[in-house]
Amino acid sequence: MLKFILKRLIIIIPMALLVVTVTWGLIRIAPGNFYSGEKELPAAIKANIEKKYGLDRPWYVQYGKMMYNIIRLDFGDSLKYQGQSVNEIIKRHFPYSATIGILAYILALILGLTAGIVAALKQNSFFDYFSMALAMLGLSVPNFVLGPLLVLFFSLGLYILPPARWGGPSHLIMPVITLAAVYAAYIARLTRAGMLEVLRSDYIRTARAKGLSETTVLLKHALRGGIIPVVSFTGPALAGLLAGTVVVEKVFAIPGLGNIFIQSVFNRDEPLILGVVAFLSILVMVFNLLVDIAYGFLDPRIRYE
Amino acid sequence: MRNFYSQTLLGVALVVLSLFFAGCATQASSKYWGQVEVPQDNVMHYITGSEPESLDPQFVTGQPEARILIGLYDRLVEYHPKTMQPIPSMATHWETSDNLLEYTFHLRKEGRFSNGDPITAEDFAWSFRRALSPELASRYGFLGYDIKYGEAYNSGKSFAKKDGKFLLAKDFAEKAGDSDNDGKIDPIGEKKPDAVKIEESDNKDVTVPKLEADAENPTSTKAGVTPDITATKTETEFQQFINSPERLTLVKPTDEKSQKAFDALVAENPKLKTALEGVEYVLVKAEDIGVEVVDKYTLQVTLRQPAPYFTGLLTHQFFGALHRKTIEKFGTAWIKPENIVTSGAFKVKEWKPYDELTIVKDPMYWDAKNVKLDAVVFYPMDEQTTMMNIYKSGRIDAIYNHTVPAAWNDYIKQFKNEYMLHPEVATEYYTFSVKKPPVDKVEVRKAFSLAVDRDALEVYRKTIKKSAEFVPLGIFPDYEKARKKVYESHGVTAEEMKKRLFNPEKACDLMEKAGYKVQKNGKKCKVADFPADKIQLSYNTAESNKQVAEFVQAQWKQNLGISVQLKNMEFKTYLPYRSAIQYTGMARAGWVGDYMDPYTFLSQFYSPKNDSSTGYWDPKFDELLDKANNTKDPTKRFELLAEAEFYVLEDQPVMPLSTSGTSWMKKPYIKGMYPNPGTMHPWKFIYIEKDRSKWDENVDQILEQNDPAVERQLEALMKSQKDFEKSQNPTNNKDTESNKVEE
Repeated sequence: MLKFILKRLIIIIPMALLVVTVTWGLIRIAPGNFYSGEKELPAAIKANIEKKYGLDRPWYVQYGKMMYNIIRLDFGDSLKYQGQSVNEIIKRHFPYSATIGILAYILALILGLTAGIVAALKQNSFFDYFSMALAMLGLSVPNFVLGPLLVLFFSLGLYILPPARWGGPSHLIMPVITLAAVYAAYIARLTRAGMLEVLRSDYIRTARAKGLSETTVLLKHALRGGIIPVVSFTGPALAGLLAGTVVVEKVFAIPGLGNIFIQSVFNRDEPLILGVVAFLSILVMVFNLLVDIAYGFLDPRIRYE
Repeated sequence: MRNFYSQTLLGVALVVLSLFFAGCATQASSKYWGQVEVPQDNVMHYITGSEPESLDPQFVTGQPEARILIGLYDRLVEYHPKTMQPIPSMATHWETSDNLLEYTFHLRKEGRFSNGDPITAEDFAWSFRRALSPELASRYGFLGYDIKYGEAYNSGKSFAKKDGKFLLAKDFAEKAGDSDNDGKIDPIGEKKPDAVKIEESDNKDVTVPKLEADAENPTSTKAGVTPDITATKTETEFQQFINSPERLTLVKPTDEKSQKAFDALVAENPKLKTALEGVEYVLVKAEDIGVEVVDKYTLQVTLRQPAPYFTGLLTHQFFGALHRKTIEKFGTAWIKPENIVTSGAFKVKEWKPYDELTIVKDPMYWDAKNVKLDAVVFYPMDEQTTMMNIYKSGRIDAIYNHTVPAAWNDYIKQFKNEYMLHPEVATEYYTFSVKKPPVDKVEVRKAFSLAVDRDALEVYRKTIKKSAEFVPLGIFPDYEKARKKVYESHGVTAEEMKKRLFNPEKACDLMEKAGYKVQKNGKKCKVADFPADKIQLSYNTAESNKQVAEFVQAQWKQNLGISVQLKNMEFKTYLPYRSAIQYTGMARAGWVGDYMDPYTFLSQFYSPKNDSSTGYWDPKFDELLDKANNTKDPTKRFELLAEAEFYVLEDQPVMPLSTSGTSWMKKPYIKGMYPNPGTMHPWKFIYIEKDRSKWDENVDQILEQNDPAVERQLEALMKSQKDFEKSQNPTNNKDTESNKVEE
């Protein structure tokens, strides 16, 4: 087990460097640069800028320098935001995304699991239909529709919640609901399907035949197998939630990492793009690893050698 | 079960819809949009656009930053809140020499940085030099290129010294083609008939120009002789240097790239080749630029060529006073709130990137008693709907220009006490790649321009003003008067002027003239054999650009029977594509003026390496502009500029479509904030009115309304310059202070 984890952790490093290299290449291929604007700059000014940022050096020198810095975990300064280091920017903005992401994750889990389990237990009941219909709606309504609808009602109709920006807990309510809706719906449907399948399986019948209480059967035996699809879904989903979702952050003007990431691409802010990409790729890989580990605990059939 | 599903869905849909209408129903009941409550404190909340790149006024380029930074850094002159024309700020008054090359600014003595240090001429000189330094690599460096040797310093050029004398620019300026050569003929300094090619220097070895003291008369001084003989008593050594004929500046070939540029330069100008043999290169340094500290409170700026708009240019944040010690101590970290020292009416209190930036009134500011707001909080945002929501909810007092989505315009404009749509100092137009057929023919270009119904475009776009002229309309009234006069002299009457906006008949005739087969059908026609597949209309991806492009495309189809393909590209991809003129046909462009003068628009076509992205250049146009800028009388100058505008549009390298509109909102209790052409708000004029009866009404006419509080403040500020001008005029302008015209 430990060996497996170590092996996977070690693989993360070359993988992240590969991702960074590919991204770097893509940025270089993409036309445009961080200093261009609607106004064409005089050649002398362009030359000054290129000299200042070392862009006049051959590409391999620039690549080597970048890699050397990244290995030391120093992504340098942002090109767009003067005097702010990439590490500082990620450190500053990740918590915003993470707060909303974790809250949305918890909300989605509570809603999704409850709805899914109850729906599975009371299959074909009113609650089953209702919750699954709602889940369908949650899946179909994109967050860029749901967010503004919530704003329209609570902020501009009733004037009870702030329409945007970061602030006290009241600022969190709508972004978290907007973000959680899709995930809750997805989790509910996965849980329901997973539970239905497990509840029909032989080992549950055996458990019941042994005379175990219904609660034990459900929580100890059925749920463990039933939520495996949920786990494989929510692992990477959590990584995505933590990293910030662009739409929700834009709609609610939240200074999260997703917002920063998209802006950095539009700005051609190379160090910032590379920094965020490296950070996110590591995040995703770590969460995939965690999911794999979790399988081991949930499914007795899986063993790591 | 299916039935049940659909019922449930219907139920949910109804709930959502009812929520939606509940939201809408609460609107429109009052004369204001959304929540309007009298603020309890004296703090203004404002959205200025995307996250500021920096708080260094010489680093940033965007409008969002500019609006913040004019509050943080005081300049010699401030924007007039209504017109954006320069009014006294750190300079109480200023004067211009007769040759229009020298500007002398008299500073007030009570100026203070936010840490209490006095602001002197030395601070401005240092700031200007820093702004132009190649190491800073400011993207706005070109704003200082009018300052003598400013461009040379910023471009890392050197003076060429031979036998202790400096080569002069005018001797190598025959070819107007080398703009890199700084090859501008000194328009005022008379050309000596037997021009001596080499200027003498009194001291070969000293490289600090201050000590060089080159005499302007080459025959009277020789190497090693002190220059005092020829110098008039008022001239300092620096003045002798800066007022002597412009020296040749060029990039010293050091590596492969500069060698190449150098070879190209020499190849173009054989005269240069022989002259440059064995020269010594003396790098142009910060101290060489035409900025001089005359005394602690007098700053003199010398230009390389007359630029009557120069004082207006100094309102820009780029020319703000910076605190040298802070910058030298902290490097790029000087802008952090814990380090920063500012010079404006406000200072930084707190900066949470991507969240909010709070600036508070600075008690050290020389005019602090007239600063009415305690603080301004800026929120970095650029999502239109989000901004409108937050404005409606009453958490924001005002928003920046272009924030009202076009689709909302019809609804929003009913809120007459809040919504403002005024002309902006910006032109939207399409460029032509004039060197690539089929638009290489002027008739074809004119036909394309005339075949677009700009009246309909104005109705369709809602927030623009139709225009077929390049200098925006409704911003420079005096210029427009001059333009009317000049155009009339060319036979363009008011009637003809209208036809410039749309004239399909003439467009068809022009196409015929260009040699195409035209089948006429009333006023419209079909150009049968036009190679439409060869051209495209390119634009950068944005909803509004797409709307305009599709509109224009339809117009060409209707009126000329030509189907032009559209091509859209992501902004940063599009920019190099357009500027390198890789496109064939037309490309979308917009130009926002850097200062309040028509020249900021017309200069786009100036010099062979101009920024017009068209490939167009005409030396005659350059001559007209030079002539205009050498004219002291503003009316005559505008007439010459209008002449130039007419001239360039006769060639139609671009087809102007519209003057942009500002389109923004403010709550009625915010007073002293005006829809000026750049939505640039000098914060010290703004105040919060708690008395409802005094709130702004009908803000579309706000520029004509006079707010006594603001007018009084303005009058007091402008008095020093007015008094000074009055004192100068009766005794004629030949004052002793500016007798440096070369003789």
